[in-house]
Amino acid sequence: MSDGITRRDALGRVVRGTVLLGLGSTAGFLINKAEGQVVWQVDTSRCVNSRLGEAGAEVCMLCTTQCVVAQSAVRAINSFRDCGRCYVCPAYYNIRSAVDERGLPSEKLCPRDAIRRTPIGFVDPEDPANNFYEYVIEEEKCDGCGLCVKACREPLGLGSIVLKVRHNLCVDCNRCAISIACPHDALFQHKVADALEPTLARQPQP
Amino acid sequence: MTSRAPRSVRLLAAAVLAGVLSGAHVAAQAIQYERPVQVAPQQETIGGGYVTPDVQRPRPREYWLQVADVGLLAVAMALAVWFVIERRSRAWTLTLTAASLAYFGFYRQGCICPIGSIQNVAVALTDSTYSIPMVVTAVFFMPLVVALFVGRAFCGSVCPLGAMQELVVLKPIQVPRRLDNALGLLKYVYLALAIGLAIRPEIARDFVICRFDPFVGFFRREGFAHMMAIGAGFLVLGTVVGRPYCRYLCPYGGLLSWCSRLATRGVTITPAKELDCGLCAKACPYGAIDRMRAVRKECLYCARCYASCPCEATPGVAV
Amino acid sequence: MGSMHYRRLPNVRRDGPDSRFATALRGLAVDRRDRIYAVGDAEVKIFDRDGRLQRRWPTSRPGCSVAVDEYDRVYVGETGQLEIFDATGRLADVWRHASRLGRVTAIDFAGGDVLVGDANDRAIRRYDEHGSFMNDIGKNNRMQGFLIPNGVIEFAVDRAGVIQAANPGKHRIERYTLDDRLLGHIGRFDGVDPAGFPGCCNPTNLAVDVRGRIYVTEKADPRVKVYNDDGTLVAVVASEGFDPNCKNMDIAVDSRGRVYVTDPVRLDILAFETEGAAS
Ligand code: SF4
Ligand code: SF4
Ligand code: SF4
Ligand code: SF4
Ligand code: SF4
Repeated sequence: MSDGITRRDALGRVVRGTVLLGLGSTAGFLINKAEGQVVWQVDTSRCVNSRLGEAGAEVCMLCTTQCVVAQSAVRAINSFRDCGRCYVCPAYYNIRSAVDERGLPSEKLCPRDAIRRTPIGFVDPEDPANNFYEYVIEEEKCDGCGLCVKACREPLGLGSIVLKVRHNLCVDCNRCAISIACPHDALFQHKVADALEPTLARQPQP
Repeated sequence: MTSRAPRSVRLLAAAVLAGVLSGAHVAAQAIQYERPVQVAPQQETIGGGYVTPDVQRPRPREYWLQVADVGLLAVAMALAVWFVIERRSRAWTLTLTAASLAYFGFYRQGCICPIGSIQNVAVALTDSTYSIPMVVTAVFFMPLVVALFVGRAFCGSVCPLGAMQELVVLKPIQVPRRLDNALGLLKYVYLALAIGLAIRPEIARDFVICRFDPFVGFFRREGFAHMMAIGAGFLVLGTVVGRPYCRYLCPYGGLLSWCSRLATRGVTITPAKELDCGLCAKACPYGAIDRMRAVRKECLYCARCYASCPCEATPGVAV
Repeated sequence: MGSMHYRRLPNVRRDGPDSRFATALRGLAVDRRDRIYAVGDAEVKIFDRDGRLQRRWPTSRPGCSVAVDEYDRVYVGETGQLEIFDATGRLADVWRHASRLGRVTAIDFAGGDVLVGDANDRAIRRYDEHGSFMNDIGKNNRMQGFLIPNGVIEFAVDRAGVIQAANPGKHRIERYTLDDRLLGHIGRFDGVDPAGFPGCCNPTNLAVDVRGRIYVTEKADPRVKVYNDDGTLVAVVASEGFDPNCKNMDIAVDSRGRVYVTDPVRLDILAFETEGAAS
């Protein structure tokens, strides 16, 4: 009886050792493969709201409806160095609305009024058309509906506004819920440094 | 009875392997995003002292904080083991449960989660282009290794999903053993399904464990209505059937219970002390005490049995 | 407007691989004998009025704009330089200036001078016929140049020697004298009324005919229109037939009023004519 117990114990030890070794080497394999932190990000060159050559396409709102965060973690950003800083920005104004007495469209495009417009540079008080304007997206208000992104897309705008996962809001789902829904496979995990680039395009896999 | 689960696990594992071998990986195609010409005015041409602001690019949570989370996970498991095995204290265990729920659940929003990481690990093992951060590897393996030695300490008072259900147990009924065992197999089916769906080619990949996590909506205090309803359903059911998700569905619970079969230590109904009164078996809401012995693979480290034991409560009674 | 209607003619023909552009089609011009000059890829192609390829020759860099003077010399604007060919395609001269000729997107002539639009610096340069620089036009303002978020400077000189320059960011066509005096402007923003210029920056390109009418193209959505010198809309030449992604469609008008417009996406040259005109 006592012999039997010892044998069982020994057997248990061997089995446990084997499993431990297995777990350890799997973990070792994964750690060896690890490339640091990765985060989800929208690929500008794939998202139908921002990619080139899609002037006719409808706006896609899945980024705002599919995210697990109620006010989507995907929001619009304006990549300032690419912005034309236009007087009549089609992402700020609804350019199809009637013109008011200032000669500008009477309605704004953003349903949440999340875009701020300010004249910059040497401001000409007489002629507002004679100015550059800065368009800043107010992060707290935006919900990533993509309307302004589509309006800014080439050739109407310069494509400076794009949808981006905001990493301070994103809960970093194991599998981003939007990536499952996105009809254009625009969401992938990227290394943090790449994911912070405003106009990220997915690099070819080696 | 007890050997049934592992055999089915082996069968399912074979099925999953077949799935791996048949899944073709689609190479992601690169599309360049280039404007025809760079025409936007820059700050030099705008003039007037204008400085182009930085693009809003918020960083993700600092990496060292994530490492700290792994540390906290280890500490919490160590405490769980100590409270249950050494102190045999239900009160301390309960305190730790509440603390874990508050931190890992509501503060970290359920996202230090070995359950979901099953899928990441599965993909990382099968897709050469996919890798997981070290933190995820650690979170996935630590509870398993602990289970290998002392059983499911993670489930007891660390896992926020478990804690959520632990705190709603009111009037648990004893599920008939056969039914309990049969339902327990569901988690292996779920495990196989989740792995099978996760290791599909990149764009077809689906992480069902995360998508159908019943409690994460509560942790985030927002979520899809149907998942909130399912979560609420589990909690209501959990008042009478102890920890239904853990016992019948949790795929990680499946792995843990498998590992814990090899554990040498754990919750023990001490033969030297016991009175064979059976109070502990009645106290266990999870049906983990079978014929007066705690079954390691089922035991969820809640320490209710110790709390119910007249020998523990009043040391003088023990002979 | 209203009385004039345009109809679309067959595209300037692209039969045969030689007459086809492969990657880019940017500049368009018509000479005094109504031959059509197109630049793109790194080549000049000349078509007759029926769309037959007459001649073609390579340029050293991809061309952005083209113009033909009264001696049939062909000026091709490129990045960083201007190449001048004689009528047979022999290179006669190259004007290089990295900062003044950054990206030449328009060329025209006025009383022996050569006017060149530099899109990089958002200004028009005035050179004498030998290539020595005289003065800038349109740069002496608060914006230090034209507002061209669309990326091209476009202008044309009318018969009176006035420069009609597109200032798309302001939705205007501005008039300048050769010595850089702003005479005034026509045009305004309007996203609904076809008489106004829609979008963020229109018109993008323009041409002037012998009667002083101004032909403009717009991007998003592509449209071609004609204005009188006083800014009243004469006709919408075309609002369809172009790829919707078109931007900066160059335009040219021949002596008989036929309008040619490039489609830089499909790499076509579209032709339009008034109803009833004898082709
Ligand atoms: S779901 Fe995809 S295509 Fe749609 S807005 Fe998001 S990234 Fe763009
Ligand atoms: S449309 Fe885009 S590029 Fe143009 S001003 Fe607006 S934000 Fe800037
Ligand atoms: S994405 Fe939608 S909500 Fe956000 S700024 Fe643009 S229009 Fe507004
Ligand atoms: S990973 Fe999750 S939180 Fe982040 S954008 Fe995707 S769905 Fe939203
Ligand atoms: S069984 Fe799963 S859900 Fe339950 S406590 Fe354990 S790991 Fe958490």
